[in-house]
Amino acid sequence: MAFTRFLTASQTAPIRRTTTESPAIRRLFIGMALLFLTLFLFFPLAAVFYEALRKGLGVYFAAIVDPDALAAIRLTLLCAAIAVPLNMVFGVAAAWAIAKFEFVGKSVLITLIDLPFAVSPVIAGLIYVLMFGAQGWLGPWLVAHDIKIIFAVPGIVLATVFVTFPFIARELIPLMQEQGVEEEEAALVMGASGWQTFWRITLPNIKWGLLYGVVLCTARAMGEFGAVSVVSGHIRGLTNTLPLQVEILYNEYNFAAAFAVASLLTLLAVVMLAIKSVIEWQTRKARLAALAIRGEPE
Amino acid sequence: MSITIHSLSKRFGSFTALDRVELEIPKGELVALLGPSGCGKTTLLRIIAGLESADEGNILFDGEDTSARHVRDRNVGFVFQHYALFQHMSVFENIAFGLRVRPRARRPSEEQIRAKVQELLSLVQLEWLAGRYPSQLSGGQRQRIALARALAVEPQVLLLDEPFGALDTKVRKELRRWLRRLHDELHITSVFVTHDQEEALEVADRIVVMNHGRVEQIGSPQQVYDAPATPFVYQFLGHINLFHGRAHSGWVRLGGLRIQAPEYQNTESMPAIAYVRPHDIDLLREPEDSDTTISATVVRVSSLGSLVRLELLQDSDGESTEVEMTRERYAADPLQAGDQVFVKPRYLRVFLNDDPKRTPPVHWNGDGDGI
Repeated sequence: MAFTRFLTASQTAPIRRTTTESPAIRRLFIGMALLFLTLFLFFPLAAVFYEALRKGLGVYFAAIVDPDALAAIRLTLLCAAIAVPLNMVFGVAAAWAIAKFEFVGKSVLITLIDLPFAVSPVIAGLIYVLMFGAQGWLGPWLVAHDIKIIFAVPGIVLATVFVTFPFIARELIPLMQEQGVEEEEAALVMGASGWQTFWRITLPNIKWGLLYGVVLCTARAMGEFGAVSVVSGHIRGLTNTLPLQVEILYNEYNFAAAFAVASLLTLLAVVMLAIKSVIEWQTRKARLAALAIRGEPE
Repeated sequence: MSITIHSLSKRFGSFTALDRVELEIPKGELVALLGPSGCGKTTLLRIIAGLESADEGNILFDGEDTSARHVRDRNVGFVFQHYALFQHMSVFENIAFGLRVRPRARRPSEEQIRAKVQELLSLVQLEWLAGRYPSQLSGGQRQRIALARALAVEPQVLLLDEPFGALDTKVRKELRRWLRRLHDELHITSVFVTHDQEEALEVADRIVVMNHGRVEQIGSPQQVYDAPATPFVYQFLGHINLFHGRAHSGWVRLGGLRIQAPEYQNTESMPAIAYVRPHDIDLLREPEDSDTTISATVVRVSSLGSLVRLELLQDSDGESTEVEMTRERYAADPLQAGDQVFVKPRYLRVFLNDDPKRTPPVHWNGDGDGI
């Protein structure tokens, strides 16, 4: 009888995995993470929308359709529309060269790609002022030919391209290195040209990584402040991007309008995050499906 | 198409991958490049394909120099160790790829492509997989599809880089027999790289044994196994026993064994090594003649299916010797660990230590005379 009881007891005892911590500790850690996120992320995010809508929807929309705000939106989208495709071409070319070929100076190229991450954006902006500004190296020549770069749209585009160019290349280099060159070699042996190999083999293999890089690059291109601020000159309706417009409105104590424009930027960021999650989910799904079916017997 | 390789060298930095390789591959043969990893066999295969270029020397296809010909114009089929199937294309599209990328003037019609892919799928007996993706196939199926894809462009030469290396033993055995049958049907000049001697011996018409970027021996499977040209080939193909000794004025002395070797008539006390296969040894209970046997003690007896393997220690110098015999022969006189025996090689070859390539190897048939 005693034996039976012992058996039942041991059978019904909860099975605890020996590799995990006790529930209390797990809850503590999860709680800490949540608290941190709430304080530093959710509250500020909510505050942006709260402040933007505090004086009612009318004020909110008025701030957004203000001609200066609309000009800022157009400029921001234009910058992204130029910087992202440029960095797409550069990123794919750089990643292709680094991942598939051996050449002298490869590590230097990799370091250079990381430079915009290491350098403060303000300094990046200053470099362009030094080069293209009225007192800069190329200044006199530019003035003589009536070309405006600093305090004009071209300068802003240049600064945005500089700040965002690591994103796509950084995303693609490890991916392409992992994939190796065998598929490309197989295509070449079968008579494909370099161009056919790129479009039919390389590009389809990196499409999700490329898209991911594009999303990150776009988000940063629209949100960049420091570098753009230095080269822009803050001319209302002409050289203000969305982040600069927020700053100007805020400095003028026009809080409702500042937060309204800020909420637009926040929404753009949230949309980009959502797209990024979908891409991540897609990539994982494709990989999992491949893994699951691989175990199938012949 | 025949392949002639003439004085081919390739270096990667300070590493010499290929060192003046000379090789002739006749039309329609299935040739194995066999050797340990790092011996240059894959590099040689990739240079033939045009995926790598040689530093010196040249490769002729049917007598015509290919050095300047781009990889896509060489008309070779290449099968990779890890298949290199296009992950994002179906099996059908994988096989059709080589036809679809042709310039418009030479590109077959959609109907012709369909017919060709079907024909190849039935050749590799996987018609029912046309719509699947590579990730949905087993390893063996993938390699057969890779082969069908390589054959789609009707190559003059088929090159296979460790084609069965990534498969498990059972599938590997099936697939290599299948490859042999396929070759007998198609008669396409084929070269395959392997480090597996059993695979090379079973599948190839001829074996090219390579080591350190050089060709050690070229011959039929029987030739390289029965008459290895160098100590390396001896050690690489099958098990061997080494007997260390000395060669001196027409005689070779190995422990208690004394062999007449007229080849070494003028040799003055040179260190020599004799190579003996485990199945070329007789074990005697009594010494037959002090000059033809070596005394040893049985250390271990293990049964390997149809064979019995005995491990011996030579009494004179404690060197270990391996002997293999059939189960029946062992049953006639079942030796046990601890038994004293006398080792009598039936067949051995002696190489001098200093330069095995220049000195003629001595064959000995166990009757006391060199050949």
